[in-house]
Formats: sequence, C-alpha cells, structure tokens
Amino acid sequence: MGRFNRKLRKMAADLLDLPQDVVFDLPRVTMIGDRQLYIENHRGVLHFSSDKLRLALSKGELEVTGDGLVIRTIWTEEVFIEGQIKHIAVHE
Amino acid sequence: MNASWLQWVRGIVTVRLRGNQLETLVNRALASGLQLWSISRTSGGELVCNVTVGDFFRLRPLLKETGCRMHVTTRKGMPFWLKRAEKRIFFGVGLVLFFIGMFLLSSLIWTIEVKGNDKISEEHILEVAKQEGLYPFQWSFKLPEISDLQKSMTRDLPGAAWVGVEKRGTKITIQVVETKTPDTTPPVDPRHIIASADAVITDIQAETGRPVVKRNEKVKKGDILISGILGDENNTKNVPAQGEVRGLVWHEYNITSPLIRKVQVYTGETKTRWYGIAFGRALKVSGFGKVPYQFYETIQHVEQAAWRTWELPFGRMKETIREVRIDKVPVTLAEAKSTGITQAKADILSKSGADAVVKSENILHEKTENGKVYMKVLFEVEQSIVAEQPLVQMQGE
Repeated sequence: MGRFNRKLRKMAADLLDLPQDVVFDLPRVTMIGDRQLYIENHRGVLHFSSDKLRLALSKGELEVTGDGLVIRTIWTEEVFIEGQIKHIAVHE
Repeated sequence: MNASWLQWVRGIVTVRLRGNQLETLVNRALASGLQLWSISRTSGGELVCNVTVGDFFRLRPLLKETGCRMHVTTRKGMPFWLKRAEKRIFFGVGLVLFFIGMFLLSSLIWTIEVKGNDKISEEHILEVAKQEGLYPFQWSFKLPEISDLQKSMTRDLPGAAWVGVEKRGTKITIQVVETKTPDTTPPVDPRHIIASADAVITDIQAETGRPVVKRNEKVKKGDILISGILGDENNTKNVPAQGEVRGLVWHEYNITSPLIRKVQVYTGETKTRWYGIAFGRALKVSGFGKVPYQFYETIQHVEQAAWRTWELPFGRMKETIREVRIDKVPVTLAEAKSTGITQAKADILSKSGADAVVKSENILHEKTENGKVYMKVLFEVEQSIVAEQPLVQMQGE
C-alpha cells in the first residue's frame, strides 16, 4: 500500500465514518471476559503453546498469553481461542 | 459440543502431532482448506487436534513436507460405528427389520367399526366396503381417497342417506346415517262404522266414508253411522270407513254403599325384632317370643353394609311389629251416596274411554236397609260410540 493510497483511504474512512478494520485490513479482536477470544483477519499461526499464541497479521503480529489455551476452531482468516487469557499485545 | 452432527457422520479422528514445524503445518493445512478444531498443546510439546476422516488423509502429504509425525488417539463418528456394527450384523439387521415390521404393521388396517346402522346389516355394509377396497388387513396406502370412498359407499348403499368414513391410525370407522321412511299403515278391509250403543248423536266427523246420521238423531245399537259404500246405484266403491262419532248414552247403575266404614288404626303398641344378615340369610338376634297382638302389621327395614360403592354381603334388619285395631266409623247418608256415585262414575270412565264425559246423573230410586244404601242411578254420558262392521262383498248382485 503506497503512501498516497493510505492517505486516500484514511481520508475516505474519516469522511464516510467507515470502520478502520475494513479500510486498513486490520485485525478485529472480540474478547469475552478472560475466557474466549475471537480474532478476525489474521495471517497464520506463528507460535502456539498452552501459554502463548502468536498470530501473524497483515502488518506485525499479535501475541496472546494465558493458561491452558486451546484453539477451538481455526479458519484461514479467523481463529477462536478458549482458555484463561491474561495478556494481549500487538507488535509492529 | 465442538463437533457438529455432520462431522460426526463423516467421522472424527483425534490426532497427536509431533515435530518442529507444527505451526507451519497448521497454516498449510488451513491454506489447503482442511478443517482443524480443538487444537491444544500438551506439556510434552505435542499438538492434539480433531480432524474429520477425509481431512485426515489429506493431512498426510503435508506431514511429509513439514517433517512432522502423526499418531491417532481416538476415533469417533459413524464410519467407525458402522465398522463396529459389522461385527454384530444380526443385531443391526434385527434393528432394521424391527422398524420395517413396525412400519408395515402400522400401515395395515386392523379394525373396521360400523356405527349408526339400524336397518342395514353390518355384514352388508362391510361387503359394500370390501367391494370399494376397504377391508381388514388392507394396506393403508392402497386405500382409495376417503372422500371418494364416502361417495361411492353412499351410492352403493340405497338405504343410507350419508356414509362417513373416518380413518384413525389402523382403525376405520364407518358412520352410517340411514334414510327414514314413514311406517306403512296396515291395509284395512272395507267396513262400516256402526253404533256401539243406543245413543243420541252429539258430534259426527267422517274421515273416510259417507256419514249417514246427523246431530241430535237417535240411533240404536248396530245402526250404521258412517257408511263404507261410496257412489250411487251404478257405480259403487267400498272403502274402510273411518271417523269420530260421539253420542249421549244412558247407563243405569244399581249402587250399594255401606253406612259403616271399616278403618285400620294403629294402637301405638310396637314390638321390635333384630336380625343379622349374612349372604342373604337372616338370623334373629333379639325380640324372641310370640306376638302379643291379635291384629298387627310388620314393617321390615334392611340396612346393608357397604364399602365405598360396593355392597357387602352383611347387614342387619329391623322388624317392627305394630298393633292394629279395626274401627267401624259411621258414615252419613249423603256421604255414602256420594261415595257410591263417585265409584260408579269411575267405573263408567274406565269402561267407555277416558274422553267420556258424565253430563248428568239422576237418582231414580233410593232406600236404606241393613246398614246400607241401595240406589238406582241413571247416568247420561257423552262418549265415543264407534264400532266397526266389516263390509261383506255381495258377489253376483
């Protein structure tokens, strides 16, 4: 995405009041308490263990730490995680 | 919970994956459209996940590419279930046969009930139903349409105004409404209506036939009142005469009425006996000894033991013996006369029909002798004086 393209998109998003994830291809994270996590728009699993999950994003990566993490279901762009979630971090 | 029934039908395999590039394997699998679920890491660094049987075989080439190894832990779902059922083939066959038998037996017609028929016999209705294809042990699905069946059965049963067929499960109810025909009157031979007693006609109404007498005409017993012969001398027709003729008839009564009336009176003296009852037999319990009265009446009162609505064969009976005295009460002359006349009137009404009316009474003669009143009374009664006389065919006349 070129710089001009990005600017244009941001302008359009601000003007038309569009959600950012649609415009910029960002992940959308839905969290239910500390037990369920639903992540849309990921780009694959980088690392998975029972206390840590790292997901690739279109830009950067998302790190989830917790206890007893289980991938309930996984599709190419969505993932549904269960377990005790303690920490979510996004790295550029 | 995490496996839908569709996955269950396909078969679910739980596998244990081992290797260094497990994340790559998962990504590759997702990229090639496989579906993995319930993925978790064991403490030993292995990956446990569920996969359908079809996807299991598509997973194998990916294992080689990523250098992972796979180990199956559990198998669930229909393919494995069928495999187990193969060993108990007769059980499975029996199960299937049971359902087939159940279906077949419940699609038979077991009973046919006929309701509402009175004149048409049930056999005839069932025979007609059989012609239309409705009989016991017939297949339900071979049965004609119920509305067609009703129409054709109503057509085939001339005595029925309407036939209703109702199917409820394996039972058919045929409801028949029969046509109502008026009762045929029995044929009557030609006849005259004649007088049953000497009378003066008060009213004559002929329904069939020719009235011969008029009102206030005096007739003798046996006179023709309504003739059964119609027409003139040349053309005659004999009909059963019918009609209503009323007349004044005189009845002479010799009445005897006593001047003393015997009345039964209780003296108030009673004696009680008790009985025990078991199985229809009574046993005297108290009140032994002879009855000390000359005239008496006995009143029995039975009490049967019962539990809820069932009568038990035990009980008790109270027998009350009441002394009776017969008193002779003198009656006045007028009272004795009116009693006698009332009895005579009741006798007349019972003999000459309920519609008879006593018009007048006339005491012709009266005397009192030996404690009795003797009377001769003439009653004038308006009553039906109809009697029948068959018309004899006069052949050759």
